[in-house]
Amino acid sequence: MMIPFLNELKSGLEYLGGVKEDSPESLPKWLQSPWWWGIWWAALILLILMFSGQSSKFIYIDF
Amino acid sequence: MFDQREGGERRMIFNTLPYYLLFLFPAAIAFQFSRPAWRSVVCNVFGGAFFLFFSITAVGGIPGAFCLLIFLWESAFSRLYRKGSWVCWVGVLQSISFLVVFKYWNFLTGLYFGSPQLNPWYWKGAFLPLGISFFTFEFIHYAADRHQGRTEAGTAAEYMSFILYFPTMVAGPIKRYQDFLPKIRNPETDSLTNWRIGVTRILAGLAKKFAIADLMTAFTNHLNQADILSAQRWALPLWLAAYGVKIYFDFSGYSDIAIGSARLFGIRVPENFDWPYLQTSIADFWRHWHISLSRWLTDYVFIPLGGSRVKEGRICVNLLVTMLVSGLWHGAGLNFLVWGAWHGVLLVAHRMWTRWLGPASPSRPFYRTALCTVGTYLWVNVGWAFFCMDLPTAAVFFRHLLGTR
Repeated sequence: MMIPFLNELKSGLEYLGGVKEDSPESLPKWLQSPWWWGIWWAALILLILMFSGQSSKFIYIDF
Repeated sequence: MFDQREGGERRMIFNTLPYYLLFLFPAAIAFQFSRPAWRSVVCNVFGGAFFLFFSITAVGGIPGAFCLLIFLWESAFSRLYRKGSWVCWVGVLQSISFLVVFKYWNFLTGLYFGSPQLNPWYWKGAFLPLGISFFTFEFIHYAADRHQGRTEAGTAAEYMSFILYFPTMVAGPIKRYQDFLPKIRNPETDSLTNWRIGVTRILAGLAKKFAIADLMTAFTNHLNQADILSAQRWALPLWLAAYGVKIYFDFSGYSDIAIGSARLFGIRVPENFDWPYLQTSIADFWRHWHISLSRWLTDYVFIPLGGSRVKEGRICVNLLVTMLVSGLWHGAGLNFLVWGAWHGVLLVAHRMWTRWLGPASPSRPFYRTALCTVGTYLWVNVGWAFFCMDLPTAAVFFRHLLGTR
């Protein structure tokens, strides 16, 4: 029971992160609408702006 | 590691506006609207400009910018590669030489002469050309695969667009020419999906970097001798765990931005991470962490050494050597060698363990899966100590943690 739930959670997060193109069946259909993507991008941009003051280099750029 | 590299704080690329406004968006749009024959030219012009701009402003300065000549030389020299030709091996050797000179010169001469003051060969103005560790791997891959006849030559412009492709130039994912070539010739044309997925991936990567990885810096900054010695013991594993979180979200965020950037061109590049901290063994961890590097090391180090088609003892040696190469590649320092050896030993132990007990059953109960996941996570996190601290600091860390100082 736990594993299927975790797998669905993974799929949902991968969809929201742009790793997967197609929405998992368990997610509601409105998560595929352009409105949703607009809101989601705005939320991510807000999050980025909120934390951007402490920005540092990417670790692997030095490798 | 934070304080080992001079001028490190200036090295921001994907989290700067010039990357998006001067390079990514104009290049992706130009690529989309250009005729097929001009796509390589677009990649080369923007890739060259990207290398010059960020070399001058972030890494290496004017001398760093001159390293663009390495790409021009490699593009010209690669035209000599033929199946079975010794010239391919010269190509491999010269690629390794570039890396040794720029990345390991002071480390190797220092091993013999000692401190910089005593080292007559010490290179005071040493710098790392932008992305040298990664483009070296692509150079070697192309030479080796041309030697084996595993890839077509393509045109000089196409090969140059492969090595100068700026979304993946600095820190991967490490591409393969035979995968990249068809994509630059026939990129995906569903622009709406490309931009929806690409922009989402970039924003998610930036959010991982800014909101999670950078937040961990408050804890990981304490991983120095003075703070470790004055800390409560319970704080030490938390600081180390914070580094494990930081490096994952930092590099997977970086990879997200690179993959998303490439997607704006309609080009898919390899994935680099697939939930590595949820894996149930160290072997699975390495199949899901920095995937493009693991595959490169498998194909160009482990298999040429004999891979797993030799006697058991030799397989273990091959695993150890491969992980030592991985450690040394990550940095010119003894701590990186120890980190590689740590993972080599873990992989050998895992191999012997599974040979003794047999492979894990796919229908094992959840608690066993959870235990294996937590165990793998802990082993990996102990290893980060050698990655993020030099050896004396790591020794102080473990002595204090174990109460033996």
